[in-house]
Amino acid sequence: MSKQVKLKIDGEYVTAEAGQMVLEVARANGKFIPALCYIDGLKGLGACRLCLVEVTGIGRLLPACTTPVQDGMSIVTSSPRLAECRKMIMELLLSERNHICSVCVSNGNCELQTLAAELGVNHVQFPYRYPKLPVDASHERFVVDHNRCVLCSRCVRVCREVEGANTWSIISRGINAMLAADLNEPWGGSSSCTNCGKCFEACPTGAIAMKGKAVGENAKRAERIARLVNARGGAQ
Amino acid sequence: MPNPNVPLGAGAKPDSQADAVIAAHAGAPGGLLTILEKLQELNRHKYLPIETLKYVAQKTGTPLSQVYSVATFYSFFNLEAQGDHTVCICRGTACHARGSRNLLNNTKLMLGITERDSEKVSVTTPDKHFTVRTVACFGQCALAPVVEVDREIYGRMNERELRKVVGKIGE
Repeated sequence: MSKQVKLKIDGEYVTAEAGQMVLEVARANGKFIPALCYIDGLKGLGACRLCLVEVTGIGRLLPACTTPVQDGMSIVTSSPRLAECRKMIMELLLSERNHICSVCVSNGNCELQTLAAELGVNHVQFPYRYPKLPVDASHERFVVDHNRCVLCSRCVRVCREVEGANTWSIISRGINAMLAADLNEPWGGSSSCTNCGKCFEACPTGAIAMKGKAVGENAKRAERIARLVNARGGAQ
Repeated sequence: MPNPNVPLGAGAKPDSQADAVIAAHAGAPGGLLTILEKLQELNRHKYLPIETLKYVAQKTGTPLSQVYSVATFYSFFNLEAQGDHTVCICRGTACHARGSRNLLNNTKLMLGITERDSEKVSVTTPDKHFTVRTVACFGQCALAPVVEVDREIYGRMNERELRKVVGKIGE
């Protein structure tokens, strides 16, 4: 058994195992920290920045999903400053691509939509970019709509860490970053894809959707990933 | 370990020069970067064709997606054939303030490039004679605007000077 550490989350003392991330520990103790790119069973990445928390003694905000717990740490998971930051991050995420809930296959089952509502985003203060992005429907079972992608890279990581197929990657960088299969080929023609559908289950938005299914049938079950990882003996 | 799932591209013949580069750097931390860099240098048109990327993936056992991700992340790697001569214009803040946008537009006009998207990092003339690139900063802001022509840096550039330098190459 690994070393135990004691830390304070929102003033309450909690015990955790050394090496655990703040987000895991906080959630295990019933604290709500919003996150889009974090998913149980996969390694944290710190891509979406929604899980920022205050750590006493450190001026800047740290992402809870990639900050390991330390003995004597004191963490604040909700404050006016955090609420403002998270709200702004969510607005930036929404302004980046074409997130139009009313015509989305994940309307009502979308983590992005749910979190935006929880964070109190009722308008976006930034101009929308309206990029012209392709929709890849070449796969026999799934569709990738890049307009709805938030580049959380859950699909990339689940494909690499759990399935081991390494089909997905994020290509290019900055505002031009895109999700791509293999050498930016149509997904349907991918030689490495095993059609397992884990990327579909992991996707927090309607970016990866199942073909020929209605909105209700397209609900994702991201908890399946964690179950699968635990059944295999936990994360590597 | 070669990855049997990755088929060799049609144009990828076994290449002894590439094999030597891959053998020397495969497996080392950051080895993929070195391999891609050297293979680009070996290419006649200074770029990485898709066949080369497939070849590297197959020989090093790296997933195709990862090779492509690395090759597209760094603007140093070219996925399209480059011209014989390169004119690289700095678009950093200092150079911008001293008129590098006009230099860029004039160079494109002079070389007959119709691409007007100033965000594009690299454009090549149809005859593959010239490539015009932009860079974020050379770190020579005191000499702004800075232009690099065939790996030679020219500071305090103006349109007339640039025309002369480029014209000399074009002859």
